[in-house]
Amino acid sequence: MGTNIVWTVFRKELTDLLRDRKTLIGTFVIPMVVIPFVFFLLGTSYNNVEKEARSYVPISISGQSVLVDYLKQTPGVKLLNSPNPEADLQQGKLRAIISIPDGFDQQVKAGKPVKLAVAYDSTNQKSVYARSIIEEAVKKYSSEIVAKRLRQAGLSEQAIKPIETVYDNTASKDRQAGGMLAGIIPLMLVLSLASGGIAAATDLVAGEKERGTLEALLTAPIAANQLLTAKLLAVMVMSCISATASLLSLSFVFRMGPLTKAEAAFSFSFLEPGSLVVLAGTILLLAAMFAGLELTLSTIAKSFKEGQTYMTGVVVLAMIPSYMMMPLNPVDIPEWYYVLPVFSGVALCKEVFYGAIDPWHVIVGLGTSLLYVAGILALSARLFRREGAVIKG
Amino acid sequence: MIEVDRVSKRFGHLTAVDDVSFFVEKGEVYGLLGENGAGKTTTMRMMATILRPTSGDIRIRGYSVLSEPVEVRRRIGILFGGDVGLYSRLTARENIAYFGKLYGLADDALEKRVEQLGEMLHMSEFMDRRVGGFSRGMRQKVAIARTLVHDPDVILLDEPTTGLDVTAANMFRRMVAHLQEEGKTILFSSHNMGEIERLCNRIAIMHKGRLSYAGTIDALRDQVKMNDLDDIFMTMVEGGGR
Repeated sequence: MGTNIVWTVFRKELTDLLRDRKTLIGTFVIPMVVIPFVFFLLGTSYNNVEKEARSYVPISISGQSVLVDYLKQTPGVKLLNSPNPEADLQQGKLRAIISIPDGFDQQVKAGKPVKLAVAYDSTNQKSVYARSIIEEAVKKYSSEIVAKRLRQAGLSEQAIKPIETVYDNTASKDRQAGGMLAGIIPLMLVLSLASGGIAAATDLVAGEKERGTLEALLTAPIAANQLLTAKLLAVMVMSCISATASLLSLSFVFRMGPLTKAEAAFSFSFLEPGSLVVLAGTILLLAAMFAGLELTLSTIAKSFKEGQTYMTGVVVLAMIPSYMMMPLNPVDIPEWYYVLPVFSGVALCKEVFYGAIDPWHVIVGLGTSLLYVAGILALSARLFRREGAVIKG
Repeated sequence: MIEVDRVSKRFGHLTAVDDVSFFVEKGEVYGLLGENGAGKTTTMRMMATILRPTSGDIRIRGYSVLSEPVEVRRRIGILFGGDVGLYSRLTARENIAYFGKLYGLADDALEKRVEQLGEMLHMSEFMDRRVGGFSRGMRQKVAIARTLVHDPDVILLDEPTTGLDVTAANMFRRMVAHLQEEGKTILFSSHNMGEIERLCNRIAIMHKGRLSYAGTIDALRDQVKMNDLDDIFMTMVEGGGR
C-alpha cells in the first residue's frame, strides 16, 4: 500500500509537472536550446572577430625599411596614411602604428641593434591581433637577417640552436578530450542538477500550499512521509532530466560547435563502466541533496514567490564549488573538499572526466554525501510533518 | 457519529478554540455557525486531523483524532470553502481519480464511482477538460466529487457555498439533502443563517473560539424568544462574546 501511494503521487506529480510550461522551459528549453545557442553565439562571434581582424589590418608606418615590404606581403595588412595616427588608433580606424627610426636598414646591415616602436591598443581585441601579425612579420624578417649573418660567418642555423627540445604530451587523446570536458561539464552538470528541480520543488510544496491542494491531500489516509518521498523522487527526476539535457546539448556543442579543437576531438570514450557507476552515484546523490534542500525551502516558504526567492540560494550553493574548481586538475583539489557537500560531487565529476578516479576519494566523497542527503531529508521530513506546515498562510 | 469532547486549540498565546463540546448523530445534518474567525475552520481541521487538539479529543465513528488519525481520515470527506484546492493542470476526472487512488479504491471501482459522481453532479460535459479554465461553480463540483469519491460516512463542509452564485448554491443544498437521504452524517459550517435553517435541525454557535449554544433551532428560538435567526445569532454573539 505504502509503495502504491508513493507511486500514485509520483506519477501524478510528473504528469502535472510535465504539463506546466514554467517547469518545461526550466528543465528542457534552457539546457537544450539556450545553452547551445549561447555557446554557438560566443564561439561564432569569437571566430568572426578574429577572422575580420585578420582580413583587414589597417596600420600606419612612418620611416623607411625593407620590413615594410614584408608587412605589405602579409595578407590583410593595409598601409594607411593618417594625419593624426594616435587619434585614429584610439578610434579604431588604425590597429597599430609602426615608427621606423632613420637609418634602420643601415643599422641592421651594420649589425647594430635597432629599436622598432609599435603602438597598439590593448583594450581593442582587433588591435591585439594586429600586434601579433606585426610580430610575425618582424620575426620572419629577423630570421632572414640571422640566417644571412650566420652564412657570412660560415655557420649553420643549428649553431644558434644548441638544444632541441622535444615535448611529448603523455595525456592520451581520450584524456585530452576529458580534460577539456572536466573544466566545463562538472560546472554545467551541477548547475543544471541544482536549477532543474527548482521549478518542480517550488510548485510541489509552496505552490500546492498556496493553491490549497496540500491541505486537501493530507486529509487522505496517507502518511506525510509517503507524500514527501514521492515529491522528492519527482524533483530528483526533473533535476536528472535537466542534467541529461545539459549533457546532451553540451556534447552537441562540443561535437559540432565552433569551440571544437581538432587536436582533442570530443568523445565520451574515456568513460568506462567503473567511472560510469561513480558518475551515476555522484549525480544521484547530488540530485537527492538538491531536491531535499529545495523541498525544505519550499516547505518553509509561506508563498510560491517566497519559495522562488529562497531557491536562488541553492543555485549560489551550486555555483561556488563549481566555479572554484573549474580550472583545477583533480590532483590539485585539496583532500578536505571531498568531505564537503557539493564540493565532493564536483571533485568526483572532475576525476571521472579526467579518467583519474581515486577509490579512496570515491568512498569518502560518496559516503559523506550520503550522510548529508540523510541529514537534509530528515530535516525536510521534520518540517513537512510539523503541524500547520501544509496550511496556506 | 461525531463527538467533540472539551476540545481546545492554542497557537502560542492565541486560543482559537476554547473547551468546545458537541455531538452529531448518525445521518444528521448539523450546522456549525459563527462569524469569520470564530474557530469553525480550526475545529474542522482538528476533525480532519490536519491540526492536533491542544486538549480534549474528537472521535469520528469512535476513532480518536489523537490516537487513530488514519482511521479517522478513511471515514471522512472534507470540503473547504473559498478557493477550493484543485490541480489546475489535471482534468476533472484526473483530480477525482487521484484522490480515489489515495483512498485505496481499485481501478474498476474507481472508474465506476467517478462516472457515478459525474452524473450525479452533472459534470459529464467537462469531466475530461483541464480544471484550469473552470468557473467557480464547476470547480466546486469537482471538489465535491473529490470529497465524496471514497463514499465517506462523515462529510465535513466548511463554508461550502462561499463564492457560489444562487443557482450553484441551490444545487449544492439539494445535494446535501440527497446525501442526508443516503444516511450520511454531515457537519455544515456557515455564517449564513438562512442556509443553516433550511438544512439543519440542530446547530452549534461558536463565537471567538467558544461555544455559545448547542442544540435544536426550535429550542434556541424558545430560549431567546425570537423568531428571526439573524437576530437570534446577533443576540447569542453579543451575549456570549468575551
